[in-house]
Amino acid sequence: MTPALTPRRYGAVNWIGLWTLYRKEVRRFLAVGTQTVRAPMVTTLLFLAIFVLAMGHSVELVGGVPYMEFLAPGLIMMAMTQNAFANASSSLMIAKIQGNIVDLLMPPLSALEITLGLALGGLTRGLVVGVATAAAIWLFVPLQVSHVLPLLFYGIMASLMLAQLGIVAGIYAEKFDHMAAVTNFIITPLAFLSGTFYSTARLPEFGQVLAHLNPFFYMIDGFRYGFIGHADGSLLLGVLALVGVNAALLLANYLSFERGSRLKA
Amino acid sequence: MPTILSHSGRLRRFGAVNWLGLFTLTRRETSRGLKDYNYQILGPVVSSLLYLAVFHLAIRTVGGASGSHADLLDFIAPGLIIFVACEKAFENACGSFIFDKHERVMADLLMAPLSSVERVCGYLAGACLAGSVVGCAVALVTLFFADLTLVQPWAVLFFAVMGTMMHGLIGILVGIWAEKWDSYAAVHTFLLLPLSFLSGLFYRVENLPSLAQELVRLNPVFYIIDGFRFGMTGSGASNPWIGAAVLLAVNAGLFSLAYAWFRRGYRLKP
Repeated sequence: MTPALTPRRYGAVNWIGLWTLYRKEVRRFLAVGTQTVRAPMVTTLLFLAIFVLAMGHSVELVGGVPYMEFLAPGLIMMAMTQNAFANASSSLMIAKIQGNIVDLLMPPLSALEITLGLALGGLTRGLVVGVATAAAIWLFVPLQVSHVLPLLFYGIMASLMLAQLGIVAGIYAEKFDHMAAVTNFIITPLAFLSGTFYSTARLPEFGQVLAHLNPFFYMIDGFRYGFIGHADGSLLLGVLALVGVNAALLLANYLSFERGSRLKA
Repeated sequence: MPTILSHSGRLRRFGAVNWLGLFTLTRRETSRGLKDYNYQILGPVVSSLLYLAVFHLAIRTVGGASGSHADLLDFIAPGLIIFVACEKAFENACGSFIFDKHERVMADLLMAPLSSVERVCGYLAGACLAGSVVGCAVALVTLFFADLTLVQPWAVLFFAVMGTMMHGLIGILVGIWAEKWDSYAAVHTFLLLPLSFLSGLFYRVENLPSLAQELVRLNPVFYIIDGFRFGMTGSGASNPWIGAAVLLAVNAGLFSLAYAWFRRGYRLKP
């Protein structure tokens, strides 16, 4: 005799469902590790090479360290954030294009659980890429961690923020063209002009004001502080900005999935 | 003499070359790469400006506003123009094949009465034209930020054609061979990007250690960038005639391989 089928009961949170979605998001990028982990390692090393070679043997210190050590944390952060964004955004957009988005919307997952599953998947890719690029850079630049807690806080919060932005973009985009536009005209400019490659302290006053309006600036500045022990801007302001932006994005994404805008017919 | 039916039901006759077919393929290939201009042209323009801005600010950061760094932007700008044009040429040719394979419209192209040479030329001309249009757009915008000159117009034209041609041919070969976008991304990230970035695009190869200087001369992309820069600024790190010879040889080799693959139907015909 077969046991009678009974509905699975769970409390306020569908832990199995959340875990399954998270695992799917992680396996999705690990299955193509060449593109998702090794490619960022190569591009990061290339950026390191061209900037160090172009700047030559400058003796001047930036933020108290040689230019190479100033540059390295920013490059790691750039790779982490770009990949966190790519993971969440491509997952949603490809599901929409291929039509298997229903497989995400049908299961008994709340809007919050969907948001968290996707965001944590993006966060995980950001952290994996961060460790991989840091290891690659470490072969060439003597990286030293001076403050562990800020390093972890900024690394995690920044990846989470970009993963959540990736969800926003993935919900909005209906074609690859839309996603290319968001990446080309919003994400890449914000990341490039964030002080990864230069110190905002050397900008003219007006430029400094502009640079400090860019949330990406605080991510890179705080993350770099964890390595070299020097920040161009205010760390407290960075913490507040990252917590605030992440909370706002969580709410926005929750509402999007709740309403099903651009997802449900 | 090859013949096909025309609209009127009569046989269209053409000589040794099917000019109409070649022109149609070229037009299709060019327009597919430029029709969504807001990201296909504006995208590369924005990223080139970002590179220029970032290098400008990095120079300020290391305190090199004087001396050897003063003209770094003027040095980078020509390299950036030809780099973007070459990227576009590769993307145009390679993307076309992978897209057509995915959409299963490859048969429409293989059925057309085009010879293998006409096919290679059509794809290649489309890639070179799309690359050149994007390169010109980048050059126009760069004019506002760097001093661009045109010392040897013929060299500029020659190296632009050779560079986009080489990347277009690599794009055709990778496109024929690849089944998925993954292969396209892998070739771009692990082969073309390193070849371009390590070829003196952003720094002077004279500043490299001597072993690296020797190695750079084995990289054909180095001759594209150096020759193009010679055309614009009048000075280069290598002899432009050697560069021209290397590029002609490489392109001839790639062209024959592409021709042979089309002729055999390698990976295109069942």
